[in-house]
Amino acid sequence: MLIDVAHQAAFGGLAAWGFGVLFNFDGRSLVWCTALGALALGVRTLALAGGWSLEAASFAAALAAGAVVALSSRQRGEGADMIALAGCIPMVPGAFFGKAILGLFLVTAPAPAHAEQTAIFTVVAMTRVILTLGAIGAGLAIPQQMSRHRGF
Amino acid sequence: MSAVADPVVLRHRDLEKIANAALKVGRILMECGARVNVVREGMRLVAQGLGANVVGERVGYASLTLTVGSGDETITRMIDVGAHGVNYRLDVAVRRYATKVAREGGAPQEVHETIDRLVRETRRHPLWLVAPATGLACAAFGRLLGVDWPAFLPILLAGGVGQWLRAGLHARRTNPCLVAVAVAFVAGGIGGFGARAAGSASAELALIASTLLLVPGVPATNAQTDIMEGFPTVGSARAVSVAMIMVFATIGIWGAEAMLGMLP
Repeated sequence: MLIDVAHQAAFGGLAAWGFGVLFNFDGRSLVWCTALGALALGVRTLALAGGWSLEAASFAAALAAGAVVALSSRQRGEGADMIALAGCIPMVPGAFFGKAILGLFLVTAPAPAHAEQTAIFTVVAMTRVILTLGAIGAGLAIPQQMSRHRGF
Repeated sequence: MSAVADPVVLRHRDLEKIANAALKVGRILMECGARVNVVREGMRLVAQGLGANVVGERVGYASLTLTVGSGDETITRMIDVGAHGVNYRLDVAVRRYATKVAREGGAPQEVHETIDRLVRETRRHPLWLVAPATGLACAAFGRLLGVDWPAFLPILLAGGVGQWLRAGLHARRTNPCLVAVAVAFVAGGIGGFGARAAGSASAELALIASTLLLVPGVPATNAQTDIMEGFPTVGSARAVSVAMIMVFATIGIWGAEAMLGMLP
């Protein structure tokens, strides 16, 4: 399991670094962003291994990333909220969203094959997108709202 | 008495300059991907630093409105917001400047000039770095989703080409939804084809992973934060724009799957 956690943390950090470059983070912030991506994916993998749902695991991971940033926000200064957010980007369920919309295309085809199964899959995928995004947003927002430094 | 000598008119002109300077700060923050609370705080800090009271502000998805006052006089001004993106370094530079204005004061013209300078001079990573980095992010995303190793390099290449194409289309001011279709089709096509040619058993997943650069993660989470912080209008607008981008990206994915014979 440790190998799995290390794998997910490494690629979570790599994905967060790539998106950090895309979002024009400076060098120091990129290091933070990479570390938070690794932390978030590590926590999520551990939680999933413990039998948690994807949504609960994503919440715990975002909460961990948000808490680290909130605790160090005095050192981080302006824009600390953006660093926490970038660290959680690898958990955004974009692939689920794509699959859900593709499922909608299939269900509404003139003669859909396996319409019921596709419809159930689509509803489940869309629900997971909404709940996972909600979990990430809540996990990031709670430490920020409890912090004295509200992120400006 | 002439209008120019009227003290009320003079005060209104001063307030107008202050409102316009504060709105400019808000607009840049909004275009850099800041939350509504940050945009409001930025405008408030600048307006107060320049000597006005903020009577009220309205942050919309496409425009900002600010009412500033001094004594009994108030004035309301509005500004359009341009394309929403994410630019961390510019966002931080503007936040720091707003804090400095609040602390040290200044003149509206100085605020305009400084913001223009920050927009012009704040460094951006070059495309030759951003495109491969984005490709690497997509490939890493692919590994997180479970794609096998043979698909890694094709996704990296596809994501990089997709980002290069996206930057080119944005520079031509192409509609963001059309950009999403084009990038998803090209990146997905390259990723899916490349993964299959490399002998990957997860070519369909590789096709989707190659398009993940299009997932608007920052606006998606900002939408929720804005709603949580009491700004459901902007939050809802952000959520709808995220959904629209994803729908159009999926059309591109569908086209790439059809081209490669991967449709279920």
